Amino acid sequence: MFKDLDPLLHSQLRLAVMSLLLSLEKADFTFIKEKTQSTAGNLSIQLDKLSEAGYITIEKTFKGKKPLTTCRITKKGIKAFEEYVNNLKQYIQR
Amino acid sequence: MEKQETMTIEQSLDVITRMINEAKGKVQRNAFYFLLWGWVVVIANVGVYILSENGYQHPEMIWAITIPAWMVSLWRMYSKRSSPEASTHLGRLSGWIWLGYGISLAVLIAFGSRINYQLNPVVLLMTAIPTFATGAILRFRPLVAGAMTFWVLGIVCFIVSKEMQPLINAGAFVGGYLLPGYLLKNKKDE
Repeated sequence: MFKDLDPLLHSQLRLAVMSLLLSLEKADFTFIKEKTQSTAGNLSIQLDKLSEAGYITIEKTFKGKKPLTTCRITKKGIKAFEEYVNNLKQYIQR
Repeated sequence: MEKQETMTIEQSLDVITRMINEAKGKVQRNAFYFLLWGWVVVIANVGVYILSENGYQHPEMIWAITIPAWMVSLWRMYSKRSSPEASTHLGRLSGWIWLGYGISLAVLIAFGSRINYQLNPVVLLMTAIPTFATGAILRFRPLVAGAMTFWVLGIVCFIVSKEMQPLINAGAFVGGYLLPGYLLKNKKDE
């Protein structure tokens, strides 16, 4: 049914991450986990998928001794998200 | 949000709307700098006025209290630079506007002698701009009203005598920084 929809974005958690990052300059892993109400393991897997597709960048640093993972949406990610929303609109109009 | 199965269009739209709403309130509301600089500038201005009235030769020396204030501000900016869990484009924009203001202010102070140190009205008019922008970004009306206080008292500063200017300046920072700063702080604590 949804063959035109980007399969990478047409998944609850990945779509939630992209929608969140679209409105922010950057967000750290804990923030995304809290807002999407996901588990660390699942979120980590989905973030890697988005990163491999070039939709987001993941920067790993340290804040004191704690690791800090910061995510940002890329231009490619924004374009993919816009296309996804445009395709959704077309389905609604049908 | 563990499900990975195919979503309906309604579910997709729901996810998008919910997440955008979650991100909406993330512009940082930070009253700290308004309160710190509000107090420092008010104390310095009232100090200049009192010292001048009592015949001190260099009342402007009281502005040295801004040195520790700068140190506190820079230390706080440095220590908080990586701490926000999420930052918004608007928050970053606000930071750039204040940086631009800081640069202009530094240039103005450095070349103050060129305009016979008639800095007060210019500083007030300049301070109105980032205050107004931050008020608009945070959608916090007391800051917008604070910016208007700077504009109005900036005009007043052009009219009154040089001796009275520090008091007008102090009043402007009470209305422009301290009142909105405390309202912002209390709003945050709610």
